[in-house]
Formats: sequence, C-alpha cells, structure tokens
Amino acid sequence: MWLRRDKSISVLISTIFLLLITHGSVLAATVRFVDKEGNTLAEVEYTLYQQEVYIPVEELNDIFKSDISPLYNRPRKQLTIKLKEKELVLLMGKTTVKNTEENETYTLSIPPRAIDGKPMLPIIFFTEILPSIDDVDVLYNPNLQRLRFMPKTAWIPDPDDETQEWTIVIDPGHGGQEDIGCKAQSGLQEKDVVLNVAREIQKLSKKYGYNIHLTRERDIEKTRIQRVQSSNRNRGSLFISLHCNASFSRKQNGMQIFINNPNGLLRFRTMAMPTIGQNKLNLRTQSNFLTQSKEFGIVLQKEMNFITEKPIPISELPLIALEEIYMPAILFELGYLTNDNDAALLSDPSHIRELATAIARAIHTYRMKSSQSSDLTDAVQEE
Amino acid sequence: MSLARRVFLSRLFIVWSFTLVAIIISLAVTLLLIAKSKQTEINQAPPKLPKTTNDSDGSLQTEQVNIFLLDTESFEVKPIKVEIQLSRDTIDRLKSIVDTLTKETPTNYRNPIPRGTVLNEAFIDTQKTVYLDFSHHLTNGHIGGTTAEFMTISAILKTVFDNFPDEIRYIQLLVDGQEIEALTGHVNLSAPMQF
Repeated sequence: MWLRRDKSISVLISTIFLLLITHGSVLAATVRFVDKEGNTLAEVEYTLYQQEVYIPVEELNDIFKSDISPLYNRPRKQLTIKLKEKELVLLMGKTTVKNTEENETYTLSIPPRAIDGKPMLPIIFFTEILPSIDDVDVLYNPNLQRLRFMPKTAWIPDPDDETQEWTIVIDPGHGGQEDIGCKAQSGLQEKDVVLNVAREIQKLSKKYGYNIHLTRERDIEKTRIQRVQSSNRNRGSLFISLHCNASFSRKQNGMQIFINNPNGLLRFRTMAMPTIGQNKLNLRTQSNFLTQSKEFGIVLQKEMNFITEKPIPISELPLIALEEIYMPAILFELGYLTNDNDAALLSDPSHIRELATAIARAIHTYRMKSSQSSDLTDAVQEE
Repeated sequence: MSLARRVFLSRLFIVWSFTLVAIIISLAVTLLLIAKSKQTEINQAPPKLPKTTNDSDGSLQTEQVNIFLLDTESFEVKPIKVEIQLSRDTIDRLKSIVDTLTKETPTNYRNPIPRGTVLNEAFIDTQKTVYLDFSHHLTNGHIGGTTAEFMTISAILKTVFDNFPDEIRYIQLLVDGQEIEALTGHVNLSAPMQF
C-alpha cells in the first residue's frame, strides 16, 4: 500500500513537473467578471502563460449565456466567436481578429493561444476588442484580477443648452517649497503625487467632455483663499480636493473620502449668524451642498471599489480645505504616505493613471445621475 | 537801570515765562495720557473667569486619570490610565493633565501630539469654552494628513472632556496665542468645538 501511495505521489509530481516544463510558468487563480455596480457576474479560473492572463474560451458560454457563442476548429486552430449579429474570427498564435460581417480587422496586443490543446483568450481581448464591436465599456484591473463591464455612456453635450457645460475643479493640495504636505520615507512628497493625479484627470476629461480647472497647475504655493476664489469664479459644478494621508501608525493604509460638515465627527459651537434685514446670512456656504457632496462621495466610493479590495470609508468633518467652496465638494485622501505599500503604489505611474481614470469615471457617472435627476425635476415641474 | 538792561531783563522774563508755560502744558498732557492709558487697560481686561475650585492650601494629591492615545492595532484613540499629582484647582488640573498627554507614550500606543509640543497656557470663558494655547510644535511638527490631524485633535478633546465632563463644553485650540485655521490645512479649527 505504501508502495502504491509512493508511486501515485511520484506520478503526480512528475506530471506537474512535465506541465511546468512544457508550458513555462503555469499558475491557476481566478479573474472576477463584475457589472457596473461591482456585482459579480462570474468567477473564472485563469492561466498565467508567459506572464499574460488567459481564460478558456469555453467559459464564454457560462459568462455571457447566448450573447457570445464561441466555436473552435481544432485542426485549423481557428476560433469563431458569434456576438449578436457579428462574427469574429481568431487564429491561435495570431494577433489579427477579423470581423467577417463588417469586413473589418482589429489587432490584439497579445494573441490567443491553444494551451493544453484548449483554445484560450487573452484577457485583453475584452478590453481591446469588445468595446469596438459592442455597446460596452470594459475596464480591467490586473492587481485585483477584476474585469468590469459597463454600458457605454458617452456624454454628448447639447450645444444649445448652456447648463450642460460642466467645469470640475480639481484642487491638488499643498504645493511650493514651504508646504510639501506629507512625506514618505522614500522621499515621495504629497504635493507631487496629487499634482500628477490632477494632470491625469485633466487629460482624461476630454474623453468625457467636461472642463477641468486646476487650482494649481504646477509646484507653486497657493493660499486657501486663492483656491476658493479661483474655484468659485470658475463656477465649478464639483470640487475635488486631492490629498495624501498620514497616520501615527505605519500600518494604517487605504483611501478615504471626507465631506465637509461642521456637525460631523466634530461639532462646532453654534454661532449667531449675522443678518441683513430679516435674512440670516449663511456664512458656511459649503453646508448648502452637503447632500450633493455625499452623493458624489458614494459614487466615488463605488468607483474606487474597482481598484481596491479595502472598503473606502466616507467621513464627515469640519474641513477648512472645503470651507467657502460654493459647489458640491469632497476631499479625497489617495492613500497613506506613512505606509510603505501605499507610498510605493502612489509612486507608480500606472497606479496614478488608474486612480485618475476611476476619478474621471466617477465624475462622469455623477454628471449622468445629476442630469437624470434634473430632467426628473423638470418633468415634475412641468406637470 | 539803563534802558538797555531793562529791555534785556524784560525779554529774558518773556522767554522764561514761555518755557515755563510749555513745561506745564507738556506735563499736563503727559499726565492725561498716562491716566487715559490706565483707563483703557482696565476697560480691555478680560471678563472675570468663572470661579475655579479654591486651592487654598496648594497641596497636591496623586490621582488616576484617563489620557487618550493612538492604539496602533485598531488605529483608534483609546484611554490609558495614568497616575499624576494634581491640585484641586480646575485650571491647574487641566494644565497638568494636558501636559501629561503631550509626554506619555506607553508600549503599543503612539502619541498623536507632535514631539516637543508644550501647553503654554489654558483658560476658560464664561460659556465653559476652554482655550488651550500650545507651542508652535503642534502645527510645525505635525506629520499632516486629514486622519493624523483628526487623531491629534481627538486625543486632546477626548482627554479634556473625559476629565472635565461638567466644567468644559467646548474646546478651542490656539498656537502661540493665535487662533489657527487648521493644524496642516485639513480639519477646521477656527471655532470652539466638541464631539
């Protein structure tokens, strides 16, 4: 019996060894397909082949039901994928994808492959090809192995409607030689991280069709009053103050969203507001936008859940950085510079782009929601 | 007496009398100004503070009090019991407790008050608002970030409210005698506050 067990173990080890030799570094783990809200659609085991993520073609049936149906011709190593009325033809090992119905050709950056005789699609197939042929936006997060499918919601501004012009104020915190903000052990400074993210958002804003106003465009010191004045003067629809966090514990990490509320976790002593005639002056102008600020906070929180596993808290505090800002506003702490992992992430340009993309998408989603709710208000008023 | 001598004496008399008058006027003006400045000083004196507990004998007693520091595992500001010598006077007690808060750091805890911070002065107004005046280290030595600022503020506020639940309702933080907007630009400290 011992002999048999030894034999079976040695067979198993040699099989694994053979697999490793024949297919390079083969590892099994899962990639999660999620919808717009982050709900899981499917969880599929993937194969890592030459550092690239591949999923078995047969899984498409389970994930997309009848929307996508694949057919594999083994001798010709040809894969045909039917997607609604369209038909895509892929050859194993080739980067060219043919759309036979519309006679178009697309190019993949990584080819599909037959691994263990099974046809496999590179994960980038979903991000590079699907959006071109279907009404869907696909985002891929390689860190969390998450693939997110969203309906395409391109904003088409109505040139006759001035109210559709949106200006988003991005406030990269701190700046200049005197006010560097927090500092990581590596020397990374908050003022530089937040400016990098702000510039990336500005680049992406063109895609979504909104204007971006930066309270500082370079490494320069700007007073709080200067930031408030330029933001209010530019009639922003939304104010996002970007910061990096710090803690007295180096273990603390993650992102955090803050809303300005003088009656939040800390409460101000109530003061008699000055009056003009019968009208009380509301000096804390930001309080007028508390509801909208919270709404945007929730949208941003959902969007960020795509790039991090850690839940992102939303806290309400009296915040000087958002005081006197006359528009919905949030303060977004992008991560802790006092935490080595967060600091490493915030020095990585790809993570900066990922953060900026998620913020830009959150702005877009909030705009769509605001536009829908204002349409609804208009309809109610008309009735 | 010759005419020339009489003229000389009369001119001398006039000059002297003018000088004397000038001296008297300047003296009067000086006295008036001194009196007025004293009056202003009296007018600008702070309102009488609420009577604190009488500390006639000035004796100190060892007492156990709570100070709030950062738990490095939960990242929350939590109470720690410490024994310190306290008098019976409210302001003296407040100063001693806050002073202890700025110095203590037991194992597994971090002190969210920047190193070197000293409590310069403390006073209470008639609305039970306490003004805690710290040295510039509180702002200049702070690591920054909204969360770290909130930790520092929480440690001070929780320590004070826990030890003076009836005597103090609001706290305003000052730095070197001046009101501040924030520690490093995040949490608003421009008004007295509570939890």
